[in-house]
Amino acid sequence: MKKDKKTAAPKPGLSWYKRMDFSKKTALWGMIFLLPWLIGLIFFFLRPVVNTVWYSLCSMRMENGKFVGTFNGIENLKWVLGVNANYNRMITTALTNMLKEVPFQIFLALFIAMLLNGEYRGRGIFRAIFVIPIILATGVATFKLREASLTTVAAEAVMDMKWLEKLVINSGIPEELTSLLVTYVNDIFTVVTTCGVQVLLFLSGLQAISPTLYEVAKMEGCTQFETFCKITLPMVSPTILVCLVYSIAESFATATVPYNDTTMKLTAYIRQITFNGAAEYFGYGAAMSLIYFVVTLVVIGVICGIVSKGVFYYD
Amino acid sequence: MTKLSRKERMQKAQEMAGISFWVDLRMGRLTKYAVQKQVKRIVAMIFRYVILICLSFVVITPLWNLVRDAFTAPAVLGDKSTSWIPQQFSSIFMDMAWSKSLMNYLPSLAYSLFNTVILTFLQVLTTGLAAYSFARLKFKGSGILFFFVVLTIVVPTDSIMLAQYAAFRNFDIFGLIGLINGSGAGLNLIDKPASQYILAATGMGVKSGLYIYFMRQAVRGLPISIEEAAHVDGAGFLRTFFGIVVPSMSGAILTVSVLSFLWNYTDTYYTGLLNRNTHHLAYRYSQLQGNVRWDMDSAAKANADWLTVINASDPFMQTAVISACAILVVVPLLIMYAFVQKRFVQGAARSGLGGD
Repeated sequence: MKKDKKTAAPKPGLSWYKRMDFSKKTALWGMIFLLPWLIGLIFFFLRPVVNTVWYSLCSMRMENGKFVGTFNGIENLKWVLGVNANYNRMITTALTNMLKEVPFQIFLALFIAMLLNGEYRGRGIFRAIFVIPIILATGVATFKLREASLTTVAAEAVMDMKWLEKLVINSGIPEELTSLLVTYVNDIFTVVTTCGVQVLLFLSGLQAISPTLYEVAKMEGCTQFETFCKITLPMVSPTILVCLVYSIAESFATATVPYNDTTMKLTAYIRQITFNGAAEYFGYGAAMSLIYFVVTLVVIGVICGIVSKGVFYYD
Repeated sequence: MTKLSRKERMQKAQEMAGISFWVDLRMGRLTKYAVQKQVKRIVAMIFRYVILICLSFVVITPLWNLVRDAFTAPAVLGDKSTSWIPQQFSSIFMDMAWSKSLMNYLPSLAYSLFNTVILTFLQVLTTGLAAYSFARLKFKGSGILFFFVVLTIVVPTDSIMLAQYAAFRNFDIFGLIGLINGSGAGLNLIDKPASQYILAATGMGVKSGLYIYFMRQAVRGLPISIEEAAHVDGAGFLRTFFGIVVPSMSGAILTVSVLSFLWNYTDTYYTGLLNRNTHHLAYRYSQLQGNVRWDMDSAAKANADWLTVINASDPFMQTAVISACAILVVVPLLIMYAFVQKRFVQGAARSGLGGD
């Protein structure tokens, strides 16, 4: 054991700190650890967001090259939800797409991560391969992806799903269920390319599980399925929560929604309205952003509120 | 004693213990149970490989298309019959992409890596501290503050773009800088790397919210008893964090570092907004797509061999050159990840905890 020389004669300047009780010390250090983030939050995040909220409640106009807002209550919100023909439909489309997409994404990501985890030949190569979608999704090489949705071409080349589709449709299962199933099967290739981050997070979550737990399960005679339900699932449940939040936020941020006869990204539409040129549209854009935040937050709040009941923590 | 490879060591150990299927087979003492187990194992392995290979195929296809376009010879470019492998190879497009007028590769790569490493370090440090604070060092109001973490994940960067630009155009904290230089105006940090560093160090960089959330969950997944033991033994909070928590959540930190590196390296949003340095590879690449034609022209003028072959107004050639540039941007990331992934190992979070 190392001898601690500092125990004798504490520095007089620190005596108030020494006398503090542990819970107060914890709180103090909690604030210290949080300080850099808090500064950033206030100066580079909250100020802009508060501005946006304020603009959404103002009628904006240009005066000497500067935006000036006068408070007009919920007029902007009324315009967005009442006068503007598109926004309602866009938000609901984004919402339904999200509800359909996210559970599948999480499930697939966990599945891929479990396949990637473990001991087998060539796992280095496979793990490296499943990082490619993250890189490609960032914008490098997007011009190629946009050009022709290559993933669908690839999907058709690998396996023609039509026969399966027919089989499922003719099997007598209720039509709503089969149509959902068919969309999932058709989407599998697009979803694989969008769940790279989740795979990486799950992989890390899986590796944090201590091997001793699995040894115990084996000794006790658990089947694979029981091991999955009783060990793997509870232990990755905190990661599932993170992935849910990320997937929902990302799904809204990249949502393509119907616009007139074509489709458009929801965020791009908001930007288009905001920088429309006319000053009052600045307020409308802010109101749209506000609705967007609120809807996303409510969805995350509800879903994560339900899921977090089942999340397992050590503390 | 000769050094054995891992596999040989395993085999030897299995032989000594007499538990290997193959040992049993040779000794002629196979039981029904052992055969069943072996069959199950092989089926599981085949299942794993089939699915992984199929999914890998989907993932690789876009990248492979880039490679195919970039390495096709100019003469056979745009040939409809080419689907997977170019009919004639040539590295001319790669050479062009490497050259000074397109990517200016080596200096740009050095700058990008340097910049990215600093950003990653700052970002991981800040978000890690914040995550630990949220998970374990709770104080009044930290629950409400955590709501803002989720908010930072949710709010799209577009909607706070202008205000962030303004914050760095006239950078000041509590009016201190204005007070010091007397003019009352802040610093102009636009187009200086400092602006990005400040954003990363204050935990507002690329997707910082996700890192905080993820690491918070990772900390909460650690048994608290080790930290309690450290406190009882007289370790301070900093020492507990850096000496106990960081090593035991190294897997999560590694994941976050990898993500942070990837996203900072390929980030064009903050680079374009705050620090428009043409040495930044991803930013240069994003700029390239608009004016690839002129860049190709100037590259061709500098090299007589290219002048005869390259036709800068040909869209196929433009695509090929852009593909080559994309490969140059992506390849360092893949190499880095191939090295890093070896360190993703099963965690030993609970080692050191007996009878818990």
